[in-house]
Amino acid sequence: MIEYLLFATFIGLLFHGIHRKVIARVQGRPGPPIWQEILHTLKFSFKETWIPKTASQTLFVAVVFVAIGIWSGALFILLSGGSLLLLFAVYLLHKIVEHGMGLSSGSPYGKFGAIRSVISAASELPLLATVAVIYLFTGSLSIADIAAYQQVHGPLLILAFPAAAAMYLVILSKMHYGPFSIIEAKEIVSGNMTEHFGVWRAGLEVGFALKTYVLLYAFVLLFIGPLPLGLALLLMLLVLISLSFVCAVTPMLSPYDTVTIQSLVTGALVIYIIVLGVVMG
Amino acid sequence: MFNLPTTNIGGQELFVLEFGDIVAYFSPYTTALFVFALIFTALAIVSRPEKQMDIAFGGDAYYAKVVDPELMRFQRFMAIACGLATLGAMVTGDVFNFTLFASLVGITNIGIVAAYRNRHVLNAAFQYGIVAMLATVPLFGGAAIVVASTGTLSMWELFTGAVAVPLIAKAFLVLGVMGEGMAPFYVAKAEITRAQGAPFILMVHVSSLLLFLRVAEIVISM
Repeated sequence: MIEYLLFATFIGLLFHGIHRKVIARVQGRPGPPIWQEILHTLKFSFKETWIPKTASQTLFVAVVFVAIGIWSGALFILLSGGSLLLLFAVYLLHKIVEHGMGLSSGSPYGKFGAIRSVISAASELPLLATVAVIYLFTGSLSIADIAAYQQVHGPLLILAFPAAAAMYLVILSKMHYGPFSIIEAKEIVSGNMTEHFGVWRAGLEVGFALKTYVLLYAFVLLFIGPLPLGLALLLMLLVLISLSFVCAVTPMLSPYDTVTIQSLVTGALVIYIIVLGVVMG
Repeated sequence: MFNLPTTNIGGQELFVLEFGDIVAYFSPYTTALFVFALIFTALAIVSRPEKQMDIAFGGDAYYAKVVDPELMRFQRFMAIACGLATLGAMVTGDVFNFTLFASLVGITNIGIVAAYRNRHVLNAAFQYGIVAMLATVPLFGGAAIVVASTGTLSMWELFTGAVAVPLIAKAFLVLGVMGEGMAPFYVAKAEITRAQGAPFILMVHVSSLLLFLRVAEIVISM
């Protein structure tokens, strides 16, 4: 498990680098090398580290460990074919990390980021609707059962395309430099991450790399099915590049517009669920 | 006696903890939620609040807010009470006990926020209090419909396929939890989270998300 955790962290950081590179190329800039985020993490690991005088010190440090802990747990759930509901729980608990990260520093920019993270709680609604659709089709919330269902009936990407689109929006909501990245917008410096630097930032980068890996892998596993690792990685990369294109060509939305779009998508999915419920009896 | 149906979506039952007629059960799902609540309750116990820096708009000035020890003590007390109620709600095996814990979370959440003496925060806390009070009607109403229609509040009975719980009862439970957990206020009244005392304010967020996760498990399993 430890070696897989390191592998997922490495791939997640590489994906972050590729994400930046694709955005830059689409926007006509050279962009950083794709291993830039790996270098960043290593650099932060050896930089001088302290805790701001104004911070709630214990919480300031604890959220970093919680971020790594919950996404390591999520990776374990995914690999062991555990409960999809538990994966959904981890996604929700990540919101607490974002909130705690911003509030604990005492910085006004961190605080604004934390408040925006609270506002963007609407990003969880499409995921909940996705879970409901998957349950309607497969009759189970076990990831192993869902994978087995797809081996018999074909990928859910085709059978339940609206749910896959909603899940895609969920992942997009968590991507850096995307239309929904309001919590780390540049008008509030780096938002809730403003005061976390040095080894704390390196820890957060590791947690976020795991998050990206888990979300992309979950998308492939839940909507395409169990695949050999190499093929799964290739599909994850394709999904990532498509997300990077969206991020590159879409301006950042205002906080309340993000809520509107996510709520509208959830509403559309609820209508789909009702229709599905009627059709499937 | 206490064996959850194997189809339970929270996973296989690991063990039960009996306190008289109050029985808590631990499945992988409830255990994960319980551990998370425990971590943040511990953080509320050991953490000191941050010293918020505020910018005076229109200039370069900024000022640091002072931490009031009295306020900190009260918020910490409420946050710990909120954590304990959340812990109970995560593992209880009884629908009525779940609603009791949920309403206790609502009360303590009001306490955490309303302790802070700021007009905007107090306004938000007052409005939240009204919603939390209103939410007790569907919350306890949902539990009442469950017992009236099935004759039991025990999750061991309700999670079996033999017992059919009306959809309206499930909807009421979700609605009640949303009100108690201040979920609608996340978007509409986000300034509620601007109050000082990050480890304690965070407990509001933790408890409401965990309550939502638990009620999702309960209504899907019933």
